Amino acid sequence: MSMGEAHRRITDYLNRFSDAVSSQDVASLKQLLSFSSNSPSLLSLADSLNVFQDANRLIKQSDNYSPFADITVPLFRSLQHYRTGNLVDAYLAFEKSANAFIQEFRNWESAWALEALYVIAYEIRVLAERADRELASNGKSPEKLKAAGSFLMKVFGVLALGTVHLCRSVIRSIETARIFDFEEFPKRDKVTYMYYTGRLEVFNENFPAADQKLSYALINCNPRSEANIRSVSAVLIVMILKYLIPVKLSIGILPKDWLLEKYNLVEYSNIVQALRRGDLRLLRHALEEHEDQFLRSGVYLVLEKLELQVYQRLFKKIYIIQKQKDPSKAHQMKLDVIVKALKWLEMDMDVDEVECIVAILIHKNLVKGYFAHKSKVVVLSKQDPFPKLNGKPVNS
Amino acid sequence: MERRHHSQSHSQRQQRRNHFSSSSSSSSNQSRSNNRFSFPKSSSSSSSSSANDVRDRRRETQEEKQEEAIVGTCPFMCPEAERLQRQRLRDLAVFERLHGDPRNSSPALAVKKFCRTMSAKEVRASDVRPLPVLEETLNYLLSLLDSTEHPFEVIHDFVFDRTRSVRQDLIMQNIVNDKAINMFEKIVKFHVISHHKLRSSCSSSSISPLHYLNLEQLTKALTSLYNLYEANRSSKPIHEKEAEFRSFYVLLHLDSNGQPVGESLSLWFRHVPSPIIKSKEMWFARQALRYFQMGNYRRFLSTVAAEASYLQYCIIEPYIDEVRSLALCCIHNCCYKLHPYPLGHLSKVLMMEESDVELFCNAYGLQTCIDEVGNKLLPTKQTTFCRPKGGLQNYSFLGFQQLGSHMLSSLFYNHFLLVPMKPFSHVDGWN
Repeated sequence: MSMGEAHRRITDYLNRFSDAVSSQDVASLKQLLSFSSNSPSLLSLADSLNVFQDANRLIKQSDNYSPFADITVPLFRSLQHYRTGNLVDAYLAFEKSANAFIQEFRNWESAWALEALYVIAYEIRVLAERADRELASNGKSPEKLKAAGSFLMKVFGVLALGTVHLCRSVIRSIETARIFDFEEFPKRDKVTYMYYTGRLEVFNENFPAADQKLSYALINCNPRSEANIRSVSAVLIVMILKYLIPVKLSIGILPKDWLLEKYNLVEYSNIVQALRRGDLRLLRHALEEHEDQFLRSGVYLVLEKLELQVYQRLFKKIYIIQKQKDPSKAHQMKLDVIVKALKWLEMDMDVDEVECIVAILIHKNLVKGYFAHKSKVVVLSKQDPFPKLNGKPVNS
Repeated sequence: MERRHHSQSHSQRQQRRNHFSSSSSSSSNQSRSNNRFSFPKSSSSSSSSSANDVRDRRRETQEEKQEEAIVGTCPFMCPEAERLQRQRLRDLAVFERLHGDPRNSSPALAVKKFCRTMSAKEVRASDVRPLPVLEETLNYLLSLLDSTEHPFEVIHDFVFDRTRSVRQDLIMQNIVNDKAINMFEKIVKFHVISHHKLRSSCSSSSISPLHYLNLEQLTKALTSLYNLYEANRSSKPIHEKEAEFRSFYVLLHLDSNGQPVGESLSLWFRHVPSPIIKSKEMWFARQALRYFQMGNYRRFLSTVAAEASYLQYCIIEPYIDEVRSLALCCIHNCCYKLHPYPLGHLSKVLMMEESDVELFCNAYGLQTCIDEVGNKLLPTKQTTFCRPKGGLQNYSFLGFQQLGSHMLSSLFYNHFLLVPMKPFSHVDGWN
């Protein structure tokens, strides 16, 4: 290969890179990053880099190429090492390039380059595995795969702050690929990961998964003895609780008052009260009072759904009162009685709507029994007429 | 510092060019070009050394050259070259044929087709229509909706494709002002109406491809519209119709379980401006959402009947059926067997004419009966209850007035119902 030919191939690649970015062409960009594909063009680029040794100067001196120097300079170096079978150095250079790529990704307006990010994540894993093999064969400790894992955590951080809804497939594919053993990572990383992914589950209303992840984060961010770390942990605990509490409420678990007081989570106090007392008016009031805050944090819709549980609690209270008055007739509840109770709570509902609510509660297994339309009565099951949620959200 | 400055100016340059989509033919790429706008970011130049200044000045001149979006010069609804070619190839839609002749059209009838493979470098200014022409084109296209000569699917197909091309021309020229908002609002309205009308005409339970594709474009146009509202935020904090158009998003996503793609509503609400959230239209949408999620069929149906605008109704219509199904299911399964449910009352609950109620029950495999005094009843807990096999027919919706099809164009114009049908017929030499 001549110098001229090598120079041409290198500028050709750099042009394609620059064009792909400016026209947001992720399909072309992907191909430029996929080392493991062993495509002829990448291999010949590697050869060109060996012939024309001054690619760095070429990149830094051109206005078209210099904006991406942080990505392309180490990328070229990595490619050269890859070609010569020097996998550890190939990995290190690729990691550097990938980090620079993330910086650029953050600056772009949208997540158009997400697929390119997947490719980088994949390549970094493959390179890390091969690098570790090289290390092991030289009697050294294989730790590149773990480093790759840390990089991936960073990717989640970026994605979690930005286009969250695209995260799902990334997380799913990486979790199922079992790239790394989660347990081996520093606690701080694990807590961060579980917080972000747990929060994502809340937005998508996957409550059991959200519960699991956020609880993990909470358990593992225990405060330490040093004062400054304790306050950082306290901030983190509040962040986690802001999402964990709505999740727990959705599966029927109420936080203790001291928890809300200790972390000053006043916005949830009335909601918890409403659930305890079956007070629908208080629930609506609490939602209105903190509407902006709940909408901004993304938990409003989750909290609004608690309405059915509050109804269940109200009916149970009426049942308990009736049972005290006359145990033999307690399992029959007149719809009119419910209408009166709601009126007392300043909620205007006619008998037809009450019948509708009753029907829904029965349908969703929050009440066991049936209703008789003509006599306008709910007949409750003698056994366990108000089943608990038992850690499962109200079924839809 | 230096690095950051480079990437800022680069991303500025890149975003001004981002409407030049790649020449890839995949529709997802095309959709991205439909949705991305380059919004001039406030240039925050960090304090840089004089050497950087020189380099930046040089880059700015380059930027200026590169950032000149195309300014279209095509004076007709369809570029002449395209019209002539399609005439030759007999590729003229029914609406474009002069006196029904498949080989002949005119500037007054031909409308530029949507073309997927558009590489920025290949586009000629003479092929792109400037804003005034686009406005006239859109008005013409929407006036066709009132036509009674053709079945709606045929009209829809034509308007669907040609409005997509209008959107494309707007984006290519980076037109992001008030007029663009106005046009996108009209286009979204078109898709919403089609969403309703295509559903009525589809007989099978599976959603027709036309209906699905329309929903896809509806969502894309809506997203573009939201971007436009955001881009114009500094000049106009809240647009007149923004609240209603935002409410559409909520109504399209009532069923969070059935929508694994796209942003969840919880996330979406985070970015909605406060005045919009407090608007009457958004309040309605949120109430509909609340009642739907809770299963409160009574409030859902009565609220929709009382407060939905025509467009909101068009979007929420599929959910009305779903809620009615739920209501029937609840009543049928939870009501005391010895107290059959009066159809008169069921009609009130379902907000349906009593005659329709009987058909509705039959569709679910349920039989009705009559008591001694002649009242129709629905016995509950029948063993034949099942999901309807075909789609559901159109049932009445009490308390809500359906819009006649001849009134559709009135939805697009506030002040006048008459629209010039052929805006270019006055041009000499063409007839």
